[in-house]
Amino acid sequence: MNIRVQSVIRTLVVSGFFVCSLVQAKYENPPSVKVPIGKKEPVCNTDDAEWRKAQTIEGVKIQASKRCSPDRPAFVASVVKGTNNISMETLMDTRLTPDAVIKSDDLDGDGDPDRIEIHLEVTELNGFSPDFEGVVPRFPIAPGVTPGMWVFSPKSRGMSTMSFASIEANPLLRAPSPTIRIEQDDVLWIVLENTHYMPHTIHLHGVDHPFIDSGGEGNDGVPQTSELFVLPGETRTYEIKPRVAGTFVYHCHVQTHTHVGMGLIGMLVVEENRPNNSVQTFNVGGGQVRHSSKAVLKDYDSEYDLIYHQMDKELGNIIQKHNDPRLIAWDMNQRYDMTDATEDYHTLNGRSFPYTVRESMIVAKPDQKIKLRMMNGGSELMAIHTHGHKATITHYDGIEAKPDAQITRDVYNIAPAQRLDLELNTTDDGLHNYGEGLWIFHDHAERGITTDGMNPGGNVSVVAYESWLTEEGLPKAQGRDLTTMFADSFFARSQPVFAGLDEWDTWGAVQAPPEIPKQSNTLAGANQPQVNNQTGWLANLLIGLLLGVALYILFTYREKIFAALKGLAGNKSGEGVSND
Amino acid sequence: MTKFLISALIIGMCYISAAQAKKSEIVVHDSLMEHGDGHLMDMGGAMVMNQNTEKLPESCKKVSGDVEITVHAGHKYSKKFPGTVFAFDKQEWHVKPCTRLTVHFINDDHIRHQWMVHGLPKYIYKSGMFHMEVTGPGKVSGTFILPANDQTYLVHCDMAQHMEKGLKAQLIVGKGGLPIPSVPGATAALFPDTYPSQEEMYPKEVAAIAAKANAAAIATAKAKSARGSGSFFSGTLLIGLVVGLLLTPIMGQRYKGQTPTQVVADISGLLVAASKQLIAISKTLVSKVVALVNKPPAL
Repeated sequence: MNIRVQSVIRTLVVSGFFVCSLVQAKYENPPSVKVPIGKKEPVCNTDDAEWRKAQTIEGVKIQASKRCSPDRPAFVASVVKGTNNISMETLMDTRLTPDAVIKSDDLDGDGDPDRIEIHLEVTELNGFSPDFEGVVPRFPIAPGVTPGMWVFSPKSRGMSTMSFASIEANPLLRAPSPTIRIEQDDVLWIVLENTHYMPHTIHLHGVDHPFIDSGGEGNDGVPQTSELFVLPGETRTYEIKPRVAGTFVYHCHVQTHTHVGMGLIGMLVVEENRPNNSVQTFNVGGGQVRHSSKAVLKDYDSEYDLIYHQMDKELGNIIQKHNDPRLIAWDMNQRYDMTDATEDYHTLNGRSFPYTVRESMIVAKPDQKIKLRMMNGGSELMAIHTHGHKATITHYDGIEAKPDAQITRDVYNIAPAQRLDLELNTTDDGLHNYGEGLWIFHDHAERGITTDGMNPGGNVSVVAYESWLTEEGLPKAQGRDLTTMFADSFFARSQPVFAGLDEWDTWGAVQAPPEIPKQSNTLAGANQPQVNNQTGWLANLLIGLLLGVALYILFTYREKIFAALKGLAGNKSGEGVSND
Repeated sequence: MTKFLISALIIGMCYISAAQAKKSEIVVHDSLMEHGDGHLMDMGGAMVMNQNTEKLPESCKKVSGDVEITVHAGHKYSKKFPGTVFAFDKQEWHVKPCTRLTVHFINDDHIRHQWMVHGLPKYIYKSGMFHMEVTGPGKVSGTFILPANDQTYLVHCDMAQHMEKGLKAQLIVGKGGLPIPSVPGATAALFPDTYPSQEEMYPKEVAAIAAKANAAAIATAKAKSARGSGSFFSGTLLIGLVVGLLLTPIMGQRYKGQTPTQVVADISGLLVAASKQLIAISKTLVSKVVALVNKPPAL
């Protein structure tokens, strides 16, 4: 019996080896293939060079803006002077309504208007349409990436899109919610016109404001303690007269955990009071302030608003799944569980890399002092790191730190809703700066440098020295070809990140065996066969095992079985005859 | 009865006067400044774009007639259309070809709304549109001339998501043309909402429904595994066969001297114990997964 078993084992091993060697004839892998990048967009999509120049419109001095996509000078002039104080020609050159920014009354007699009335609307970006498969109005944060968002926007007129034929959002409808700038002791009326289909409010975070306004209405924006919701089609006016200057915040306080995540959060800057100091009341899209206040210009060469935000894809998708506001409310308020959420999109001034290169570069020259107002509008801790520079934190949450407490470092921790005012000194002294270049700055909590997990992406931007910029305001980068990122295919995950790094594409895309694409094309059945296979695998193993046992038993006891069968046959044939 | 009618009339009149009192708050924007090319605007932000009282479309020999309509827009008009937030008071207007149409647009909300027509001849109307806009409560009026052909024009408010959430209508000239999709109460949406079942939407029911769904899934999986996947003599079956062949002699040692019936009984006992263990493990796994999926929303 032992010999028999041994011979069976030997035969099995040999035949197994033979079968294996037949199947894997030689070590050969599928070849690499080139993945088409698809349609590329121009890296710089603005061709109005005039907008980049320093200029004066309506008596308003506007700084040069070297970046590719500068703010429209007529817009800057309109929000500095007030839409009620400019020529119709300048106003028509913007999309603002005549009552978007009303400035009047020099209350303290120092040469600038101190009564400011601004009108904010609530705008949905990348929302649902019952008419076509796509989102509207479209606002990509990176090529092909269009998460659903809500933002405050300055009151504008006309179409929400660029034209009837276009689904792209007009330039005033964008993330982040615009920075609001006023002067200390100004009387500011913020008129919230709820043009959205959900209830909203405004809470003035950190800004000096009374709990109840002059009319006895709630002024804190909290629907549980100070006031009711501002419903669609309704307005509410928030009144403030801030006595303290600084970098503050405003945000919606309805279902704050989701509404802030959707984008209803912005920066509110109170500038120090100075004579003849009309400030730029809106900075749409953040970034460079083209008309800084007197106090800032005394100490700094230029000023930038850096608004960071994080968004959960699952949250933003809710407004793209449904049209019925009841379904959206249910999905967002009852089904969505934020405690299970992860942030997928990380933006700086409403966009992610590579679009940040168009809009949110800090343009520097040697021996300058640049003021950065940094805000974390998301719900994750951030650790912003500047390459090539150590900046000094001068203000925490808008309040100036004592000289000894002003820390110079290269990573700036910033918790949700916190603000840091930074002094970026471009003196090449080995401490503040290591010379000119294209020095990137980014979150060092590494999730922040991805867009839905794809890197490079997220909140990466650049401190670009003018000597390193083209006429068009693009970086003269020496690294990999960035133009391949200006196509939808990169964040759609179809481009291998290391494609084309060497002649034969060592890290390129693998040519798939012909039958695999067919399987993966059927979306519905993608997971089902796997499950089946697993049950099949187990069942087959068990059946095999039982068969093996049965075979062995049959073989070993074959004589007894035969005898038993014979006996049975005999019994059967002799049934009714023998009673033994 | 008469008394009842009279009192009803009085109550009705009270309502009308209340409505009128509210209407009187509406700011009438009737002194718009002309900015060229039929673009009218005032400092309150009321505007009319591409106003045209004279230029005849090529298809018209003369204006067939003057028609005036009054259109309201606002949140309150969405009441009759569940699942919308804004609406016009009417969703359809019929006019004859070559009509000179004057629209009195009243916005009852306290925000901006628009009444915008698309698809007009571009040689008269820039971008092929006629557009009125006013911040409410307010009224603005504008005039334009329609061409001769039978056509259905899109009318909407183009503020972000206003059309999608109900501010949509159609202007039918003559016999009309292709209908405009997703006009509330009038035409079907091309991409309508999918409504989850009540059980899906309400947490109390979730567990029961999920249990049902799980049972169904298990049944399906069982049916599928019974059907098997492909040939009887698969690779894993072969492995099982080999293991069986090899294990049995070892087991033979263990069951030496025992009758085949005892052996089979013992082995099947072992198998039953093992499968019981397996079932217990998978049960805990399934319940854990189910608990994870059905985790009740945080308060």
